Amino acid sequence: MDRLLDRGLEQLTAMVHKMGDTAEKIIAISLRGFIRGKDTSEDVHELSEVLVAMTMEVEEKAFGLIAKYQPVASDLRIINSYMKIAYDFERYGRYAWDIAYIGKRLGGLKKCDPWIPEHIADMSEKVLLMVKISINSLKSHDTELAQTVSKTEQEVDEMYFQFLDKLVKEASATNQCTISGVLVVRYLERIADHATYVSEAVVYIATGKKVTLR
Amino acid sequence: MNSKENTEKSYTEQMRPDVKMQSIGLNAWFGQKQALKDINLTVKANAVTAIIGPSGCGKSTFIRTLNRMHELVPTAKMSGQVLLDGKDIYADEVDPVQIRRRVGMVFQKPNPFPTMSIYDNVAAGLKLTGAKKGKNLDEVVKRSLEQATLWEEVKDDLKKPGTSISGGQQQRLCIARAIALQPEVILMDEPCSALDPIATAKIEELIVNLKNDYTVVIVTHSMQQAARVSDFTAFMYLGQLVEFGETSGVFENPKNELTEKYITGKFG
Repeated sequence: MDRLLDRGLEQLTAMVHKMGDTAEKIIAISLRGFIRGKDTSEDVHELSEVLVAMTMEVEEKAFGLIAKYQPVASDLRIINSYMKIAYDFERYGRYAWDIAYIGKRLGGLKKCDPWIPEHIADMSEKVLLMVKISINSLKSHDTELAQTVSKTEQEVDEMYFQFLDKLVKEASATNQCTISGVLVVRYLERIADHATYVSEAVVYIATGKKVTLR
Repeated sequence: MNSKENTEKSYTEQMRPDVKMQSIGLNAWFGQKQALKDINLTVKANAVTAIIGPSGCGKSTFIRTLNRMHELVPTAKMSGQVLLDGKDIYADEVDPVQIRRRVGMVFQKPNPFPTMSIYDNVAAGLKLTGAKKGKNLDEVVKRSLEQATLWEEVKDDLKKPGTSISGGQQQRLCIARAIALQPEVILMDEPCSALDPIATAKIEELIVNLKNDYTVVIVTHSMQQAARVSDFTAFMYLGQLVEFGETSGVFENPKNELTEKYITGKFG
């Protein structure tokens, strides 16, 4: 049976999936630009503003559906989770913008000891993988895939602390590199957290169980 | 084992202090047709329990078995137990009239006695049980109308016919009539289905307040109403109890797929 609510849910799902595509794109542009020393701040800023606007659209749509149809059970879980996921995608955009802006302001990693760009490049690939997993599992309702972020999230956390430990030991790193590196790994770590929140929401939508993948 | 021993065993072994009523292996038939199949459900004291389910699922029959009203249908029969404070209300020595006094009923359509005044409608049950006119009766009528949140609206019109007030007020009058007998449990069979949204909201607020003093069981077709007013929800389908639990759990994360489909409007 096609319910009136189903039409609204389909629209909301399409909006959240589109946000996911945009979020994946903005993080890829920002990270790869930063690692290659390319200024992407304008493009990234534009996309991050798009994500902010889309989050508001998702919230408005979700509130409208709640007010009109008083959804319950899986319908309510989906709407609630989509609102949270939209916020996570908005934060992806914000961190992507922070990274791009640091690249522009502090000049990237060209002058750093080689281990720093290598470490950040490795960590970036892991975070990009987590972002992809979170978005793909959302689209496919694949709870097994969603739960695979847990392992990568641990690796990202470890890389974060390894980076900080090594900075302390390697006094040769310039101040500039130290600051930008510290900030960027921090943002990467936060993006990884949000990718985990999205995956937790995917499990909640499908099963009603609140799991912690962190 | 005789019936009394059986009842006492039920009380000690099966009832918890917060349980007001309990059906155990309850079956009911109308003629050849089985309306209830092995219903095991607990009704907690001072809480609102909602019974939901599609038309014909047995929910109205079920609440009628809780005060033996289904017996008024000539072809009705039942098996199993219904306990009130641990005692089987179907035991041989139990008077159904006494049970109906302890377990009152409010119906779908407001049904004040048409020839009686507002006052007499509330006092009717008490007069039948021997109460005399006077200050005490006046106080019970006032208190009942206050509890039904109707007093302020009708206090100057107590002699007017019970049918002269609005549908929503008539339903609250029927609730006052039930309360006047000081029942322990109030059963409500779709009490808002004939009312507009404003009158419905007043009755719902009243239901939530009533649980401070009474145990309430409500049959409703409105899932949102069940979600709004009840502490526990039972979902029935084809005469069976499919799911029972705290209302928040049933509406957020139902355990049974049938419940999920029904409350999200995918069937029914």
